[in-house]
Amino acid sequence: MDPSSLISSLHPLEIKVLTALSQQRPPAGLREDQIAQTAGLELSQLSMAVEWLLAKSLIRVDAEKVTPVVSLTKIGERYFEKYSPVERVLSAIRGAGQTGKRLTIQDIQSREGLEPTEMSGAVGCLKKEGAIRIVPGGYVEATGAPSQTAEALRTLFGLLRVAPKELPTFSESMRRVIMQHAVKRGNANEPFRIDDRVERWYALTPQGEEAARALAQQSHAEDVSQLSPELLKDGAWRTARFRKYTISLRPPRLAAGKRHPYREFLDLVKNKLVSMGFQEMRGSLIETEFWNMDALYMPQFHPARAIHDVYFVKDPAHARSIAEPFLTRVAAAHQNGGDTGSTGWGYDYDRKRARRLVLRSQGTAVSARTMAAGPMVPGKYFSIARCFRYDQVDATHATDFFQVEGIVLGHDITFRTLLGLLDLFAREMAQAKESRFLPAYFPFTEPSVELHVRHPRLGWIELGGAGLFRPEVTLPLGVDVPVIAWGLGLDRMAMVALGIHDIRDLFTSNLEMIRTTRAHF
Amino acid sequence: MPTISINVNDLAQLLGRGGTAEPLTAERIEAWFPLVKGELKDLDSETGEMRVELHDSNRPDLWSCEGIARQIRIKLEGTARPYPFFKSTPRPKRRLTVGSGLERVRPYVAACTAVGYPVTESGLAQLIQIQEKLADIFGRKRRTISIGFYRLPAIVFPVAYALVKPDEARFTPLGFEEKMSLREILSVHPKGLEYGPIIAGHDMVPLLRDDEGQILSLPPIINSREIGEVRVGDRELFVEVTGTDLTMVLLTLNILAVNLADRGATIEAVEVAYPAATAFGKTVRTPFDLAKPRPVPIKTIEAALGQPIAPDEIRQALLAYGYEASVSRDKGSVSVKLPPYRNDLMHAVDVVEDVAISRGYGAFTPVMPSQFTVGGLSRLEQVSDRIRDLMVGLGFQEILSNILASRLELVERMRLAGSEWDRTVEVDNPMSLTYACLRQWITPSLLRVEAASTRAFYPHRLFEVGEVAVPDAADELGARSVTVLGTLIAHAHANFSETHSYLDLLLFYLDRPYTLEPISHPSFLDGRAGRIVSNGRPIGLIGELHPEVLEHWQIGMPSVVFELEVDALVERTKEMVDG
Repeated sequence: MDPSSLISSLHPLEIKVLTALSQQRPPAGLREDQIAQTAGLELSQLSMAVEWLLAKSLIRVDAEKVTPVVSLTKIGERYFEKYSPVERVLSAIRGAGQTGKRLTIQDIQSREGLEPTEMSGAVGCLKKEGAIRIVPGGYVEATGAPSQTAEALRTLFGLLRVAPKELPTFSESMRRVIMQHAVKRGNANEPFRIDDRVERWYALTPQGEEAARALAQQSHAEDVSQLSPELLKDGAWRTARFRKYTISLRPPRLAAGKRHPYREFLDLVKNKLVSMGFQEMRGSLIETEFWNMDALYMPQFHPARAIHDVYFVKDPAHARSIAEPFLTRVAAAHQNGGDTGSTGWGYDYDRKRARRLVLRSQGTAVSARTMAAGPMVPGKYFSIARCFRYDQVDATHATDFFQVEGIVLGHDITFRTLLGLLDLFAREMAQAKESRFLPAYFPFTEPSVELHVRHPRLGWIELGGAGLFRPEVTLPLGVDVPVIAWGLGLDRMAMVALGIHDIRDLFTSNLEMIRTTRAHF
Repeated sequence: MPTISINVNDLAQLLGRGGTAEPLTAERIEAWFPLVKGELKDLDSETGEMRVELHDSNRPDLWSCEGIARQIRIKLEGTARPYPFFKSTPRPKRRLTVGSGLERVRPYVAACTAVGYPVTESGLAQLIQIQEKLADIFGRKRRTISIGFYRLPAIVFPVAYALVKPDEARFTPLGFEEKMSLREILSVHPKGLEYGPIIAGHDMVPLLRDDEGQILSLPPIINSREIGEVRVGDRELFVEVTGTDLTMVLLTLNILAVNLADRGATIEAVEVAYPAATAFGKTVRTPFDLAKPRPVPIKTIEAALGQPIAPDEIRQALLAYGYEASVSRDKGSVSVKLPPYRNDLMHAVDVVEDVAISRGYGAFTPVMPSQFTVGGLSRLEQVSDRIRDLMVGLGFQEILSNILASRLELVERMRLAGSEWDRTVEVDNPMSLTYACLRQWITPSLLRVEAASTRAFYPHRLFEVGEVAVPDAADELGARSVTVLGTLIAHAHANFSETHSYLDLLLFYLDRPYTLEPISHPSFLDGRAGRIVSNGRPIGLIGELHPEVLEHWQIGMPSVVFELEVDALVERTKEMVDG
């Protein structure tokens, strides 16, 4: 890098450090704190600048000195205020001696509330120094001799409380006390800690000297990092020098306001359906068996209606009533076909069971309600309905999920218009150029069709199921035109679009995942 | 719907394509499968074993290799082969008598014999499979029907189906070495334990015995080991079906009879004599053809399919799908009769579908519905979308949560147990306590995210517009489904004032004047929670979450929330639109 562009890329902190070092006459290394003082920097700022300059080879480490420094630990601070075990044991024994009392080791330990290890350490130390002795009967007496350790500790606590001190400044006896009571591996409960303080002296490298010379020749204009309203107002920007940024660095992350990726997908589906002329329907999370199943001509003995397929509501267990004339007409359709031209299922319809409350298990329940409410003819309807199934939750089964389904009513509705609608879905919903129709089975439609499409990324997939509602469904609800019922299975497409492999992740609680998932539509 | 295992070679044999004919490929098979609503799950190219899912729950005749082959073969040959044993003559040589009292336990039985087909390995596997699938799925775990196969030569006719006391008879059941009393079988044998409850609650149990008192089986529990264990190589079989629904019993026997006939057996009927008249008489010759001819107007078929079809083409399509069919003299209708192994014709539309399947769905050209309709979103969705847009603009991340949750999350962690807010819609039959209640507010859903995301960088500003269920005795369903906006802010300095600013701005843009009324709510710090009131009506809550709530969720950040009922805002919007 040529010197001028090198200089213009220097951070203001770096310039201050270079300038401070170049002012040494004769040239010599400076210690960190000396540089900080000369350059007028905080130590934290200095260490940043020093690191950058070392990386650019503009300065070098001139000398290094390692000094052990003693400081108080949290325990040391407590000992300063509340006295160390050695001091407490000694003063307890001396106090007892003055009043003529005799104490055992256990007496002292319990009186002072000391740990066994603290107690044995203190007694051992005092006995060795000759400040106490143990007499027959296990009693402890003061000898009257002073305890160097107790005195040294008191002095050290007082000194070190103010500031850490370098170990070599202490006398040899003091150093011995410090080492005995310093934190060591395996024993953290000590009042002193010894850390190595590393002092470094820095000097300019030849490139650094060159840069410093170049800097000295430049105007003394202050480097500007942030353009400010003040600079604009007083025109100082005209003479200011704007520091160049290192623009290749990663920027800080932002927390965005953002739609949920799966919602984005569902919004797309919703908008697509509206654009094709579908009107949205809404329904209740809780439904009666009547609207969830009976109205759809699923017999009450149908295997998919058992306790292990649908969630039942605990309380109240039943709705108060089912609207007429629908109940009577649907009951007749089940029993003997009623006026629908059907034989019916031929069983005794249970009207109480019809009122049993369940968590909606299929979106078609919403369509049934719409048909009973006098829909428009011609009419197209859709819903994106939350449904609940009694399934073990795993990578392919969610506790609750969205079903995209709907109906199309019209005098022109036939098997062929059903296929036409599915063709449209194949193109619009899956961007599929190829599709095929397979016979299918649903209890409420006849004929029934499965729509398979060749998805541009997934290959052949089943996109949905559809059919013409049976007359046993439409006529009791008061609809006398043919009706297409359709449902789309879009979760696999959604998972591919969102790049996930577990259906539970569509409803994940992991915010990082929600923030970083990108939809590829 | 059942998934069954069949073998390619067995299928080829039944299609009359055994021996030198070129082997069947997966493509070839899949091209036929629309005829049976079958889905090929997998095919082992070495062994030829394949798994097939059959979608039509009303077509139990298709749940076997024989049934699948039959439907395909009829299409290939253009018409069905006759099954003469359904004729009402001659009078059967063999009789089965039904004792009294069975109407309270398991009233019906049907039976036939099958002679001249030496049971093969794969034939036996299919026999066992169809027996299991029919009894399990069609027969609701043997409750409505169960099936037994026996070695015919060991049986002395007539056979009696009658009630006996559980201690009165003993036999060696399949899977055991020694004789046991019926009571022992019911209380010790694995099948007795599994299916015993079906005939429990009576002091007598049903038993099948021959004229010499040899026991065939204890229906619907277990066969005798001596007579009721069919082995590879057996050439003469006795087949019976018992159950609670005569139509289903007869249909099941019909299916078994045609299956064995398709494998080359000669079927002979058995005369079943009841103590009293049934819907099909006092004596019933089984197998019994249930189907009756029925006229279907050509116009009905054409209208449903959306194109004119010549009556004879309709007839041809139905013949090639196994029906008997003839066109009326005026060509206005076609008289149709289902084959005896089917009983799923409830309405003319059922015939329509079979015409379409027989011709192939690919034979119909799709046309677009031609009538014009206007699309649109519900007002609730429109308002929800506006709110979502505003929240995104305010810097909030949208969340999407499951609605089923636990009482622990919705109530207990929120400090609501026993309070006036301790009301949720509970599931009567939860699969796990984790998903046992519908959420009654959104805040727990957002806390679930917050608790799982303490390592995602802060601040966290979350929202969800979603449905909740609010118990309401006045509602016909016992609860209202309400769409609610929930928000949560979590960071080191999150407080009431911040969330209040967002609420204030949101309601400004929604043009909704409001006041906050202090509220004492266990989920919030006292004195830092409010009810959002508009037009004198409460529409939401706002507050700083109680530290104990955060502790319950193991959340280490101050969190503040507000919730708004979107339904309440819709009404306001409507008022403004309406004037």
